[in-house]
Amino acid sequence: MDKIEKIDERGVWEKIADQLRSRSMWMLHYCTGCGAVELPPSMTSRFDMERLGMGPMATPRQADLFLVTGYLSTKTLRRVIYTYEKMADPKYVIGFGSCTINGGIYYDSYSTINRLDQYLPVDLYIAGCMPRPEAILNAFTKLMDMIRKGEADGWKRYNENYEWYKQNQLRSLGEVVVYDEFHE
Amino acid sequence: MTVLKVAGIFLTAFFFGLTFEGIGRKITARVQRRYGPRWYQNFIDLFKTLSKHGYTHGWIFDFGVIMALGGIIASLGFVPVGGIVAFPGMDNFFVIVYLFTIGSLGMAMGMVGTGNPWASIGVARALTLMLGYEVPYMISIGSMLYFYRTSSISAIMSAQGGDWNLFKFPIGALVALISLQGMLGKEPFEAPIAPAEIASGPMVELSAKYMGLLMLMNTFMEFAEISLFVDLFLGGGTYFVFLLKYLVVWVLVVLISSVLPRFRIEQAVYFYWTVPIILAFVQVFMTVNGFVF
Amino acid sequence: MQSLLLYLAIGALVGYFLSMINKRLGPIVLLALSLYGLFTLWNMPIGSVEDLFGFEDILQFTALSKYFSIITLIVFSCYAFFNIVWISKAKRPYAFSALSILTLFGTLGVFLTPHLIALYIFWEVAVVASLFIVPMGKEESKKATIWYIVISSIGSYMFLYGTFLLYSKFGTFNLFEISGDIASEGTGFKWLVSLLLLGAGVAKSGIFPLHVWLRNVHGNAPDTFSAVLSGQLVKMGSYIIALFLGAFPIATMFSQFYAGVNIFSYVLIWLGNISILIGTFMAIKQNDMKMLMAYSTVANGGYILIGLALLDQVGFAGGLFHVINHALAATMIFLSFAAVVYRTGTTKIDEMGGLIFKMPVTFVTYLVGIISIAGIPPTSGFVSKWMIFQSLISKGMFVTAMFTFVGSIGSFLYVFRPLAGVFLGQLKRKDKDVKEAPMIMLLPMIILVALTILWGVFPQQVLVWVTDVQRQFGMEPFKFDGTVLYSNLGHWDSWTVFVMFMVGFIIAAVIYILMPKGKKIPLDDQYTSGEFLHNFDLYHYATKYYAFLEREYEGHPSFEDWYTSIVNVLKAIGKGVDYLVRRTASAYTFWMALVLALLLWVRW
Ligand code: SF4
Repeated sequence: MDKIEKIDERGVWEKIADQLRSRSMWMLHYCTGCGAVELPPSMTSRFDMERLGMGPMATPRQADLFLVTGYLSTKTLRRVIYTYEKMADPKYVIGFGSCTINGGIYYDSYSTINRLDQYLPVDLYIAGCMPRPEAILNAFTKLMDMIRKGEADGWKRYNENYEWYKQNQLRSLGEVVVYDEFHE
Repeated sequence: MTVLKVAGIFLTAFFFGLTFEGIGRKITARVQRRYGPRWYQNFIDLFKTLSKHGYTHGWIFDFGVIMALGGIIASLGFVPVGGIVAFPGMDNFFVIVYLFTIGSLGMAMGMVGTGNPWASIGVARALTLMLGYEVPYMISIGSMLYFYRTSSISAIMSAQGGDWNLFKFPIGALVALISLQGMLGKEPFEAPIAPAEIASGPMVELSAKYMGLLMLMNTFMEFAEISLFVDLFLGGGTYFVFLLKYLVVWVLVVLISSVLPRFRIEQAVYFYWTVPIILAFVQVFMTVNGFVF
Repeated sequence: MQSLLLYLAIGALVGYFLSMINKRLGPIVLLALSLYGLFTLWNMPIGSVEDLFGFEDILQFTALSKYFSIITLIVFSCYAFFNIVWISKAKRPYAFSALSILTLFGTLGVFLTPHLIALYIFWEVAVVASLFIVPMGKEESKKATIWYIVISSIGSYMFLYGTFLLYSKFGTFNLFEISGDIASEGTGFKWLVSLLLLGAGVAKSGIFPLHVWLRNVHGNAPDTFSAVLSGQLVKMGSYIIALFLGAFPIATMFSQFYAGVNIFSYVLIWLGNISILIGTFMAIKQNDMKMLMAYSTVANGGYILIGLALLDQVGFAGGLFHVINHALAATMIFLSFAAVVYRTGTTKIDEMGGLIFKMPVTFVTYLVGIISIAGIPPTSGFVSKWMIFQSLISKGMFVTAMFTFVGSIGSFLYVFRPLAGVFLGQLKRKDKDVKEAPMIMLLPMIILVALTILWGVFPQQVLVWVTDVQRQFGMEPFKFDGTVLYSNLGHWDSWTVFVMFMVGFIIAAVIYILMPKGKKIPLDDQYTSGEFLHNFDLYHYATKYYAFLEREYEGHPSFEDWYTSIVNVLKAIGKGVDYLVRRTASAYTFWMALVLALLLWVRW
């Protein structure tokens, strides 16, 4: 994919908007797996993510960047997809650690999924088990570059190949049966 | 002329409001020994949110957001900004205070209109907090209106000369400062928008431009409230002197907020109805009996 | 005036029999009569004097009469209009229509006569007519009627006693003839008479300590009649207060107390303060929307009383202006509630939700109503609040000012509760098929909305009436010039404020339109912390809306309980007496023993 020269289809406004988006990424961290523990150091005074214009947000509606921080059991995956679909376009996803790339040490588990990008359009993976804050910040600057170049187009891919993603999701999760154990 | 002045106030509020917010973020970061964002970070944030493609929950949500911003813009026009007084004599204190509430009502209505209970809880908290801070604030300002025999902000501003009300009404100024902290929703009074506890309260369902418009509203509201404080207690002044005073008050507020934890909502109301209210009545007693320095 | 009253008296009968043909004819008769009354009284010159049923010069059309009768007739026309459809839900439609007309007859009579006995008779007609309407409401409304009759009769007997006291002193029943001489009487007499006469007003307008009937009666009366109760019948009390405070030379009758306010007014102001406090905090914790607005009526009665008792250029005008604001706002709010109940069948806030998407016009009515109650420009509610605040601050009455501020900000809290619980939030599944109220119901609501905003932006018309009243009572009239309102603490211009509001609105709308459009999503597409929800009825925050605040005053003393316990004590005494006079063996033994004991004790 990176061998083929991609044609930049963005208009002027989109280009300016992408500049802005890259400099103000509000993130929503879905703290699954072990990855969550690496985020506080990257947020606080040691690495200070805010100098890049990033900050944590309370709800998916407000956020631009979705951090999936580790392995995903099928039960969590369901929530991850639900949350991702609440976010406003354009939105970006970063997969943390080997677990999201190929399953990591849980590659043969009965309850986790192995490849996140089968289910959600991942813009960037961070390798490692667990990636250090340096790697995380590196990834963030890389993602910013990608946004500026218009390469971080996962949200467009998701909209275009919605059928394909849904099919994969359904294959792993089955139909979602909502069961309200407290009130029924 | 009036149109130009109003436009001037809006532009000042826009540029300096956002800039000062950025500076505030920087200061908080420094207190926490971080590097902090750039000073123009808030402009980027604002335009980024405006450029996104959001979600709406129906007409009341859209209307509420417009009403919130519109109401605040309207009340901002009446606030004297240093030398710029758009409506001399007409900038009645009560008119301004009640005009603010249009914006707040619009926001509350729009946000609850999303149908998310977190928003309702946040609004309920915000209203309760308002019951706390407004009463001492209005009493302490009321004593000033009584002393100057006018409720026009610009008249009080110019009546001070070099002799600031901060020194004439020291206790009232203290009360107003404490109330200002609540009005701005800064710690320790930020329970209505607690992010981790109630998912940022009223803002829970805000995406894209709705978020942007409400950020703008928040900036304008902060600008108007601090401007009122500067006009009433620090004597206003020419344009740049005004902005300097503004910056000092803003930095003070930010410093206080960056080192304090959060009150629970009933603790906040209880606090406001004990200490500041008693102080406000001490000020009233002094003013009515002529102890004004 | 005489002919109008006559038409109304006959109209009650006609209305009764016409509604037997078709239920809808009753309200139509009332509508026609009130519109006719509005037309005649609007054009009638102030100062006209007429006879009534052969009694000479009993009817006198003063500025105050004009003001209050116009308010009454506006409220009644909207009420009648609304009832044309609503009447199908009434329990006894014939009596309902006839008694409504009779209520109008009574209240108009009260406003039109300065003759104290005639006033008393009209007053009782209004009270009795409304008394029979109240029990046509909910289950508990029969009990509520008892509250209503007891407190009303306390008020009217006080009034009657005061009237006779005056008659024994001055030998006339005409109020305006008395008012000149009363200043020279003894202090005790002046206090007694003023308290007795104003007692009726206090009882009727729901002022502390006689506020307890409002919750029961407004909450349980038929839905549309609550609008009349709160919007109009309560204003009868305000009329009595305004009449006596204006007609009696209160300022010279009693000694000065503080800041040019005399001691008697000060007592009234404190009653107003306590009413505001009770009304506000009790309204905050109500879950029944009609009871909530009933307590709001208590609080607003307090505002009116404070404004009137200030008896000065700005405050008195503010109090009078607040009468019309609250009348319109309360009518709007109760009519919108009636529409909601008409469609959903409940008044409990937490049993509803999200009705805005089904009943938008009703919602807008309620919204404008609460904006006016909360005193936010550009509605007329702000004008009167501004006047009262200005007057209080300029006099340096900061404690009272504190109560009014608490009431004013507290009103944001309680009006928001039905807004969030009933109209906003999640739509309940059972209400999925609810429709907007019928057009006939919406029209009067729209008219009231228009009037409230019109008088908020252009308050001149009302201010002319208000200043006429002030001139009638020899006060310095409130100063205004077009839309610019002056007080001794500065001025403001409602038109400028409105224009600025529009400018702000347009700027916001332009920014909104320029930016990318939002995608419409359904109500159940919510942030739920990643959880899948099944029943969105439960995802609605309406129960115990202000739980954190209510907790703080949970164990408050309640006057309602206190009165109930007095009643219980009386009942127990009655039972005891009953037991002792019954012809049973035990009673016989008791009396025998008592007599013997007495004999023994006296003799030896
Ligand atoms: S990659 Fe390693 S650290 Fe990360 S979730 Fe998987 S096992 Fe945990």
